[in-house]
Amino acid sequence: MSIMTNAQETTDPRSAPGGTPGVTRATLRRNFWRGVWRVLRRKPSRMVGVVIVAGFAVMGVAGPLLYPDHLPRDDDALYAPPSLRHPFGTDFEGTDVLALVITGARYVLLTGLATAVITVALGTLIGLFAGFRRGRWDTVLMRVTDVNLAIPGLPLLLVLSTVWKFESPLEMGLVLGLLGWGGIARAVRSQTLSLRERGFIEAARGLGLPTTHIIGRELLPSMAPYIAMNMLIAVTGAVYAQVGLFFLGVLPFESNNWGVMLNLAVFNGGALTTAAALPYLMAPLLAILLLTLGIVLIVDAMDEIFNPRLREE
Amino acid sequence: MTPTLRGRARSKTSKTSPTSPTSSASPKAVARRVAGHVARGLAMIWVVATISFVIIREIPGDPVKGQYESLIQKGMSPEQAERATAVLYGFLPTGSLWEQYTGYINSLLHLDLGRSLSTPGVEVTTLIGSAARWTVLPVLAGTLLSFLLGVIMGVYAAIKRSGRLGDVLALSGSLLHGVPVYVIGLLLTAIFATLWPIMPSGGPVDVEHVPGLNPGYLGSLAHHAVLPVVTYTLASYGGWILAMKSNVVAVLGDDFILAAELRGLKRGIVFRYIARNAILPLFTVLALSIGMLFGGSIFIEQIFNYPGLGLLLVGSISSRDYALMGGTFLVITIGIVVANIVADLLYTAIDPRVRSGGAA
Repeated sequence: MSIMTNAQETTDPRSAPGGTPGVTRATLRRNFWRGVWRVLRRKPSRMVGVVIVAGFAVMGVAGPLLYPDHLPRDDDALYAPPSLRHPFGTDFEGTDVLALVITGARYVLLTGLATAVITVALGTLIGLFAGFRRGRWDTVLMRVTDVNLAIPGLPLLLVLSTVWKFESPLEMGLVLGLLGWGGIARAVRSQTLSLRERGFIEAARGLGLPTTHIIGRELLPSMAPYIAMNMLIAVTGAVYAQVGLFFLGVLPFESNNWGVMLNLAVFNGGALTTAAALPYLMAPLLAILLLTLGIVLIVDAMDEIFNPRLREE
Repeated sequence: MTPTLRGRARSKTSKTSPTSPTSSASPKAVARRVAGHVARGLAMIWVVATISFVIIREIPGDPVKGQYESLIQKGMSPEQAERATAVLYGFLPTGSLWEQYTGYINSLLHLDLGRSLSTPGVEVTTLIGSAARWTVLPVLAGTLLSFLLGVIMGVYAAIKRSGRLGDVLALSGSLLHGVPVYVIGLLLTAIFATLWPIMPSGGPVDVEHVPGLNPGYLGSLAHHAVLPVVTYTLASYGGWILAMKSNVVAVLGDDFILAAELRGLKRGIVFRYIARNAILPLFTVLALSIGMLFGGSIFIEQIFNYPGLGLLLVGSISSRDYALMGGTFLVITIGIVVANIVADLLYTAIDPRVRSGGAA
């Protein structure tokens, strides 16, 4: 990492150390947005990612408002094939599958958001603390992180589901967050370790600036993009785990969500043996695929914006 | 200060003598390293054992006590019922929490995981033993295949990272890395077993074949293993291609590559320099990947009705067979711990730079 940034510093005159007196914060910011624009324009597919994720966010917020509390059933059209009225057909009770996907999005996305916030908050705090204090605290915290990383998460979740029913999305997010912070903690720690030896941090320390300033104003901003990317990735992890738990059927079906749909389609509807229930299975699968694609495209774009060595030679 | 110093020292030794065995590559250092891993692995197993003990104790309705009381109602004497329950769960239904805990750990030390409730009388270890091969073999096959594919594609993705091909490869990697394994598995089944039925939709083997080393049985085994192994492969392929790509990009900027190019070495040789240096860090990922695949096996076995550890775990939860549940969870953990140690040893054997000292 440090080798690469050094190389970049020597090739990019603007960021060369000592050569920046005339560059103000405003021009730096303008340069940054110009870079963002360049990356987005070079590969328009990145815009697609923003659009997809924004679409899902709208779906999560407004989706359940579009439909009545109890979705209408059509007893004459069980497992109806896709049509104009039912773009993805109907389920075993004759409910429109598209409506199920849209109303089920809120639970999934809320869990994803809660998980991401908790994962990132815990991971960043622990990583920063371990990397900045070093010494004994570092050793202890990294041992805990190792355990956190090595525990098989999904089997543990399954076993936990016998005593804990994860009634609300927030509760689920809390558990997933508590299980998933290890990767971010370790990455943030190693970034902290390498950053704290760099000139600008040493200068800040030499100026006698308080630790809160060094961490909050100097260290965190340089890691922020990285942390933001990890937050988005944590959302995909959360979707994986919670939809998976419902798919396996180890949690009670309290409300409609994508995992419940998958479970009913596969184990009740026999979607894997007959083609009739296939649209019912495909709709939530496509939703998960699209959401992942959107997040991946955004992370990809962010990676290129903030990580200059990935840009073309 | 220590970490940076150590990092600097390590890179210095690597530059002066990348291949010659350094003085610290003694068997002693390796043994110390292994001992550290084993100690950490044991701690890990102990943590997981404690978790499953607490969970079995805390399950609503207290199944252990329930079993004990129902045996008494059936006419057993309290002592007999106590012993019969202890055989099932590995600890006595009565007594303090601490006594139960030490009893549980004690029976674990004797490799006794209790007996199954849903298949009465059978020891949990027997059930796990027969399930393990259905998980381990496909997981290994999937890991190897995805490693090969991912590494090769990763080099291409890095070299062509400004072109269309690199974009597509990297995007496919990120997408496959992010997509849940059951989405891959369900899509594959929907396509190749339902819409275009060229593959069997479930089970490990067709029932009409006699188990044994006959071509019909083996062929059926292989035929049934295709979709699960492809799913395992696709699930971890994304991680490999991404890791390999970023390693290659990092190596491409190193001085020795520039030097090699300036010396006019053939492209093939430069390529080998790049690949060899970029592939090393992947062995640390190997352990994580195997752990992930064990987790994924829960879904894959459920989808393909494959009688491995994952199916055993889910089945034990739905049939309230808690001794089996705890045992399976523990064995999956042990599998991951062992995979970790093996991957690290492999790494030590391959990369001379890590062999310095006993620092983990």
